[in-house]
Amino acid sequence: MTTMRRRGTYLRHAALVGVSAIMLVPFYWVLKTAVTNENIYAYPPRLLPERPHLFNFVDVWYFIPFPRYLLNSVIVSAIVVACNIAFNAMAGYALTKNFPGKRAVLLLFLSCMLIPFQATIIPAYLITSKLGLLNSYVGLAFPLLSTIVCIFVFKAAFEAVPHSLVDAARIDGLSEWRIIVRVLMPLSKAAIATNVVLAFIWSWNAFLWPLIITREPTMQTLPLGLARFLSYLEDTTGALYAFAVMVLAPSIFVFLMAQREFIRGLTSGATKG
Amino acid sequence: MPQWLVNRWTIVPLLFSALVLAWNGYVAINDGGLIEGRVVDGIGRPVPDATVILFDRSFVMHNERQRSRTDEAGRFRFTGNDNHSLQLEAQTAGLGRSERREVRLWFRAQNVTLADPLRFTGRLP
Repeated sequence: MTTMRRRGTYLRHAALVGVSAIMLVPFYWVLKTAVTNENIYAYPPRLLPERPHLFNFVDVWYFIPFPRYLLNSVIVSAIVVACNIAFNAMAGYALTKNFPGKRAVLLLFLSCMLIPFQATIIPAYLITSKLGLLNSYVGLAFPLLSTIVCIFVFKAAFEAVPHSLVDAARIDGLSEWRIIVRVLMPLSKAAIATNVVLAFIWSWNAFLWPLIITREPTMQTLPLGLARFLSYLEDTTGALYAFAVMVLAPSIFVFLMAQREFIRGLTSGATKG
Repeated sequence: MPQWLVNRWTIVPLLFSALVLAWNGYVAINDGGLIEGRVVDGIGRPVPDATVILFDRSFVMHNERQRSRTDEAGRFRFTGNDNHSLQLEAQTAGLGRSERREVRLWFRAQNVTLADPLRFTGRLP
């Protein structure tokens, strides 16, 4: 029985490793092309890189203002992540309370999730313009300062905390703000990690919004730099792929750092009764 | 030791910052823009008084930037290079042109001494 079970586990793992390998092939191909100058359409394709080198990354660093784009992306992502944690935690806590119109607010949030960002981009642009935030870091971060999915992640995490704990904190004289900061947030690390990862990835990869509201090349972020790079150096596949790797690396790094809490944060709401 | 210090969110960024600082320190002491090398003929003898041309890359083109002449031992030297992707070529009246050698640097103005000399295919008389 034990042998059969072990064999089943091995088979399951082998299948999972196989599927993972297939899903990682595109990433491997991007990385392989980044460290060579091979033509991606070459036939027959080579599985292993021939004479790999890292000079494509050096080209990317110097041929376009990569450090500037990187700085812009880091600043915008930092604003987005910080605001997401603060605003979503507040909204999530409010939604754990009973108040008149709560159902309507929840319905409004859920229905807003159905509307694609492209459909609301003109009003978003006009509001940002009226606020004088065009071509600024806050303007770049503006549409992602709070996201509905992440509000629900916090709501699920806060609802999982026993009410008696919140009541005890209130009896001890803690204000609502301090209950969030001192009691609920330390018990919701998985939700915070999920917010960090999702907010970071969304802001890091944003293309359309930065394209619309930036006026100067010095305010552009990495995805816009990638498009600009493509228009400059259309025949240098290796450098282009190196750029793609450099754009992808920070978000993969953040995901790997917060992976455990991220998965826990996403699934905690799913298993709640 | 406080828990916030022994945490991957602290350790990894600190390690990363240390690496970046170390790399920048290395760059700061090696970015003199000095390029040195030798020019030899087909059988490895030094070629004196050859002209060595330095081309640097701007996007897709390589443009001539500097010229230098080799000494009695076939050595040449460029100063003030501020690029990271270069080509070098030697010319002399008797031997024609050497192959054009691509030189890739890890950062702009990196000091470098070519391990392999620029080589003409012909021989000196």
